[in-house]
Amino acid sequence: MDGLRTAAARYAGTRVARVEDPRLLTGHGTFVDDVVRPGMFHGCFVRSPLARARIAGIDLSGALAVEGVHAIFVADDLNPGVHEQWYTLIGRDVPDTPRPPLAEGEVRFVGDPVALVVAADRYVAEDAAELVAVDYEPLPPVVDYVTARESDELVHAAYPRNVAGDLGGAPLADLAPVFEEAAWVVHETVYQQAYAPVPMETRGIVAEWSAGELTIWAATQSPHEVRLFCARLLGLPEHRVRVVMRDTGGGFGQKVVPQREDMCVMLAAPKLPGALKWIEDRRENLQAAGMSRHEHGEARLAFDADGALLAAAIDHVQDVGAYPVPWPVGTAAAVGMLFPGPYRVPAGTFSTTSVFSNTVGRAAYRGPWQFESVARELLLDTAARRMGMDPVELRRRNLLRRDELPYVNPTGMPYSDVTPLETFEQALKMLDYDAFRDEQRAAREEGRHLGVGTCTYVEPTTAAMPLYGTEGATIRIEPSGTVNVYVSGGSSGNSIETTVVQLTADALGVDIADVSTIQGDTAITPFGGGSGGSRSGSMTAGAVAETASVLRERLVAIAAHRLEAAVEDIELGGGQARVRGVPSVGVAVSELAEIAYFHPEQLPPGVPPGLEASGRYRAESPIIWANATHVCTCEVDVVTGRVTLLRHIVSEDCGPMINPSVVEGQIAGGTVQGIGGVLYEHLAYDADGNPITSTFMDYLLPTASEVPDIEYGHIETLAPGPGGYKGVGEGGAIGTPPAVANAVADALAPFGVEITRLPLTPEAIVALVDGGARTAVPR
Amino acid sequence: MKPAAFDYHAPGDADEAVALLAELGDEARPIAGGQSLMPMLALRLALPEHLVDLGRAEGLRGIEERGDSVWIGATTTQRTIERSAAVARAVPLLARATPLIGHFQIRNRGTLGGSLAHADAAAEYPAVAVALDARFETLSPRGARTVPATEFSTGVYSTDLEPDELLTGAVFPVWSGRCGFAIEEFTRRSGDFAVAGAAVAVELDAGSCVSRCGIGLFGLGSTPLRATAAEAAATGSPSGDVTPEDVGRTAMAELESVPADLHASAGYRRHIGAAVVARAWHRAVQEAAHA
Repeated sequence: MDGLRTAAARYAGTRVARVEDPRLLTGHGTFVDDVVRPGMFHGCFVRSPLARARIAGIDLSGALAVEGVHAIFVADDLNPGVHEQWYTLIGRDVPDTPRPPLAEGEVRFVGDPVALVVAADRYVAEDAAELVAVDYEPLPPVVDYVTARESDELVHAAYPRNVAGDLGGAPLADLAPVFEEAAWVVHETVYQQAYAPVPMETRGIVAEWSAGELTIWAATQSPHEVRLFCARLLGLPEHRVRVVMRDTGGGFGQKVVPQREDMCVMLAAPKLPGALKWIEDRRENLQAAGMSRHEHGEARLAFDADGALLAAAIDHVQDVGAYPVPWPVGTAAAVGMLFPGPYRVPAGTFSTTSVFSNTVGRAAYRGPWQFESVARELLLDTAARRMGMDPVELRRRNLLRRDELPYVNPTGMPYSDVTPLETFEQALKMLDYDAFRDEQRAAREEGRHLGVGTCTYVEPTTAAMPLYGTEGATIRIEPSGTVNVYVSGGSSGNSIETTVVQLTADALGVDIADVSTIQGDTAITPFGGGSGGSRSGSMTAGAVAETASVLRERLVAIAAHRLEAAVEDIELGGGQARVRGVPSVGVAVSELAEIAYFHPEQLPPGVPPGLEASGRYRAESPIIWANATHVCTCEVDVVTGRVTLLRHIVSEDCGPMINPSVVEGQIAGGTVQGIGGVLYEHLAYDADGNPITSTFMDYLLPTASEVPDIEYGHIETLAPGPGGYKGVGEGGAIGTPPAVANAVADALAPFGVEITRLPLTPEAIVALVDGGARTAVPR
Repeated sequence: MKPAAFDYHAPGDADEAVALLAELGDEARPIAGGQSLMPMLALRLALPEHLVDLGRAEGLRGIEERGDSVWIGATTTQRTIERSAAVARAVPLLARATPLIGHFQIRNRGTLGGSLAHADAAAEYPAVAVALDARFETLSPRGARTVPATEFSTGVYSTDLEPDELLTGAVFPVWSGRCGFAIEEFTRRSGDFAVAGAAVAVELDAGSCVSRCGIGLFGLGSTPLRATAAEAAATGSPSGDVTPEDVGRTAMAELESVPADLHASAGYRRHIGAAVVARAWHRAVQEAAHA
């Protein structure tokens, strides 16, 4: 687009140091817990210790007697205050699942909020919370989502068979002839355990009511969503609600929309004479902030005798817990629609069912449809091994080539502008695949078990849903010539500040040191969707370009007038406007700003005073597709089951990189989360529905010791959008688990092992080795 | 995750600390580095009314070589032990166990006495102490006494200490002669408590027979354990005739009940236990043979 033409792209594409880093690395960040208000109260939730029970009564007398307790709210106090409760992200017209602020009549998972204690500090609030006496009458919980549809017990009475919703494509029977006549069919049920985003900063919110206005400080990925949601929830005019966020320490989807505890704080704030702060602690985060990934799929792939894919089908079932956030059914459909992946698949279908259980609700998590890659890529490796074919060769035969694009997959996904085969070949070249196979053979001679696994996926980014379809920016060139750029923000570590500063400096041809950005305050910034759906790069680039083009035109007009040159001859760059071909003749942007603000009489006719503009970019495409290949190598100790990762290579096509360091940071973060998911993290419950991993002693995050150096390859092809940029925020978390699992499967191939169940704990691996031996005997 | 209120005391020496513990009774808990107790306080799993901080108590810190033994004060940090040339020379098994405790940040605060008195059955130090036949020194209003390491742990997180009794230090015998030492553990991640671990000390005679050995097991019971049957089976035999896998199997065969949790079933723990004993035995014998 026109707005992206700049005098000189000095900063885009370079590893500019992050502008956020000086404050974050010196402890000067402002997270929600850093917000302190006069007379502020602290909240603590009383949470259910049982997976399912009727609330027969609540006695607050002991807790209210604690010195420093100001109020205790239960469902009767807060829930009637709800006017409307729906997310802009999803829309009001979906058949959304229940989401009461506090538990009403029945608790439905361990951690379900029952009461909100408001006290002078968090210590007192916790003291009092222990004294809130809730009379629970235990009910039989529905713990296992796999059998929940057959259970006599219902998580929510209004949902028969515990089904929250289902969606699907054509009947599987339509494909029966293809599967019956195929030379090869793999048909396996793949299971993935529950794990969670686990942001370093837990959830948190401060809400302050003052004379009909509500101000909220929030740990959020989307301040404007919080404002809209809160205004609807409380029945307030939107402009009476202000939401402020500066630094958010990780969201990964968990902070993409307000959750039940946020609703409680919003509803309680107008009832209090001071601000109310709630900061979630780690135990609450692991019990109540949401789980993800818990699902299984009965997956089928059909091939002809040469290994060409003929069909792909998956019957997917996911656990949505008791109170999923947001509506989970639509996302589940993406698992089915993306199951064919970046391969040439003539036929395919899917079905998906979302099932309630008495566990924590499903929440959004980086690449929420990630299971499509897990199921497909595990099956591809299994298929290759059964056919006696190298898994790399099988993929090479089936990956889409550039000359086949655009390509509509059998479930209707219109892929375009992707490079699956190119990333695949680049990643294998970085590994030196043949050399690794030699090394693997030599190691096996010594009784050591090395393996290599791959995953190639295609990913929808920058989806133009209603909340996400436009993005605004305001740019002010101040009277001194320095620049402030305002965007909605919602950066939760993903460097939107750096990105916007780079793009603005280029668009205006000024020094990056002269550009600052203000984000995350709904009272100041233009409306925007925030950080989510791998949209920030493309959408903020569009917003900056739209807006900067107005200002550039104005700068050029003033400069041309001042220099007595033609508008077409003016170039912007280095903080100057110069006459093309006459470098000695120029005028500084600061001087142009001075004219614009203080000497309007020197402006050319028709040019308005001042140098401030707002613009709004509208997404050019409904989806921007991105793609990548992950290649992982590992060594497995077959005695203990320990997996040691050796190399992890990612070749990604996210279009031209605005900042390679930011891109690689996003890939690294997602990759580490994927390593956690496949090898370590498990948000587990016992048979009674008690969470058994609610501290970091038991919920095992990978640390620097468990993660190999991550190696990056880049293919840069253009997307149909600003700068050709594609999204990159989520992919690392999608591609990693299948690549690691396939590497383990490859290492254990001599034992006849096939992997269909995650996580790959050491114990699970020893059991696979002991139980494998189907096709071969180890040396 | 905010602790319940407690009173804080900072005695100046061990006698004062013991007097405080006696005076305050069951509701008092000593605290040293706080690497286990602080999280328990934050989770309100421990609710003491009084905390007696040993951090400023004189006479509880230091490493002293005493001829055929080494005394280490209870509040000596793990990091100090890790960096001690004396410990590395005289009690190599302790030196090698130390880097396996948590991460260096934890070892900067964590203490020898804290680890021993907290008595986590999956911790390294208690198992090293039983393998080497260490002796623990305690102090109470009734005076000082010495407890063999093998008699100190009495159950899950429980010890022979009376509520008013303080662990003041530990004496580790120096194993001289043709000795070898090895510690092997299996953890889910670097720095985690062990799924199973083994600390092995072996002494060979001039004819390379096993003249003495100690096998301490951790993570495999409700207390640190000594694999006495495996030790007895190996002692007196030519080291070359003792296969490490047999030592591991024998050590596991004598276990009565093995813990199970999300990270390891009892059966898998035994499997890992046998492997770590075998690996540690092998390395310890190799070292002794080359001593």
